[in-house]
Amino acid sequence: MASAVSNLASFEYLEKLPGITFRKLYLEPSTALAIFRRMLPHLAKAFVMALLYMDKPFLLTDLDQWVQSNAKRQRDEALSTLSRLHIVTISAPSRQEPQVVSLTDAFRVSLRLALTGGGNHQSFGVPSSDAKSAGIELEFLDEYGRTQWEGILHYVVSTGRSGAQPTAAVQQLLEAGNLVSRGRRSTEITQAGFSFLLQEVNAQVWTLLLLWLHHAKELGMDHVEILSFFFMLGSLELGKAYSIKTLKPTQKSMLENLVDFGLVYIPPSVKDQFFPTRLATTLTSDASALRSITAGFESALSTGSGTAGFIIIETNYRLYAYTDSPLQIAVLALFTKLTTRYPNMVTGRVTRESVYRAVSSGISSDQIITYLSTHAHPELLKASAAKGGGPVLPPTVVDQIRLWQIENERMKTTYGFLFKDFESTDEYKKLLKYADEIGVLTWASKTEEKFFVSKVEQLKDYMKSLKAK
Amino acid sequence: MVKAVIGILVQCDPSIKAIIMSIDAADNQFVVEELDDQTLVIKESQLSELKRRLDEQLKDTQQPPEDSGSD
Repeated sequence: MASAVSNLASFEYLEKLPGITFRKLYLEPSTALAIFRRMLPHLAKAFVMALLYMDKPFLLTDLDQWVQSNAKRQRDEALSTLSRLHIVTISAPSRQEPQVVSLTDAFRVSLRLALTGGGNHQSFGVPSSDAKSAGIELEFLDEYGRTQWEGILHYVVSTGRSGAQPTAAVQQLLEAGNLVSRGRRSTEITQAGFSFLLQEVNAQVWTLLLLWLHHAKELGMDHVEILSFFFMLGSLELGKAYSIKTLKPTQKSMLENLVDFGLVYIPPSVKDQFFPTRLATTLTSDASALRSITAGFESALSTGSGTAGFIIIETNYRLYAYTDSPLQIAVLALFTKLTTRYPNMVTGRVTRESVYRAVSSGISSDQIITYLSTHAHPELLKASAAKGGGPVLPPTVVDQIRLWQIENERMKTTYGFLFKDFESTDEYKKLLKYADEIGVLTWASKTEEKFFVSKVEQLKDYMKSLKAK
Repeated sequence: MVKAVIGILVQCDPSIKAIIMSIDAADNQFVVEELDDQTLVIKESQLSELKRRLDEQLKDTQQPPEDSGSD
């Protein structure tokens, strides 16, 4: 679920970009490859692969034959994702010509280059042959990335209190992104900040990078270059040195901030080389690879603070957390009523009130449950394994946390458009069916012939195509 | 001609919907269209204000969450 969050954040941002930006972005093979592996559902990947070496546009009706008739919904969703990301163009429907589909030129050229090599694009970074800094080890990079990132998180949690502070640029960014807000005397964490904290590391990195992207526009930086740099970082290899000289000017000026985030490391002795850390190289891994890599990263994270899992929660909602890390305690305090603190542990209860408070500050019950189960103490894991791999957390507690949230959620809201006043029942049925197939339908009433959708663009195109017939 | 109206779809219990309608009855600044007894469309810009007014109304009727059991 957590990786879906990060997917969504970056994905939705990208979808809003105009077509011209996409054409510029796809000039870089690394971007094309990153979008391909990170953002596309499998069926869409299959379509792209099939179309990649096809020189003529392909008949849409022929494409339909690759898809089983019961998977029409997946096919439509795949195609709509592809066209929203400007990866394919589908010709406008008309009476004379059948509809055809083809890859956009820039994307096709770049993805071919990315997959089979060739060209002089330097899009995947240029490894530095200079051996001066050969002594940099993976453990060191992990440790570096961890310290920098934890520093930022810690600042978000306990803003205003003393301790290691991130640089002024990072502080400004957090403030601009409304993750913390500056009061008269001290800074305070906001709702957005709360849900930021409970996200998975990869999602957090993306959130911060996208914030920065928004911010960068004000500084007059070209956001195409910034985005391609993010995607390039995701294609670099951990533990290798890369040359700074071949970067574009904008990208060079970005390095400083990336060092602050802990995404890259520049050895003090060698100023023209940079090392990506695990935070950077996992940026665009696809979902399954991501999980294992973040797991790897989390175990790297935990080396500093003892064991990976530290939380025990009992069926009576009592919680024991074996930690002395102020960061972890502060996160726990977001949804737990903490009562006692010992040198090496804190105790408390998950109460209706504490969950209410968390929910009203924008944290979902699923986030709480995911947090508790990913940080469950080995004893809990052992107990569940002994029962044949059952749930890690006591089911009563999980159910109750969900119920508490539902109790507090009085209405479910969806942004979108209400369609009404159809010319005929036939038209209503056609549009309704289409909306359902492309996965935007949220509500419909047969008797009143109205329905509600979350996105409208494709429906408009479809209505035009109906008129054309 | 088909019409598309922008707004926020709200799905809730009939009781909550009744309260929303009563809030709206005063100045009609929230509801765009009633759909059925659990669904309605409200104006895009008014969600946070409506939530606030709803909380205000419910404060009087709902029991405050109590914390049973000792630590």
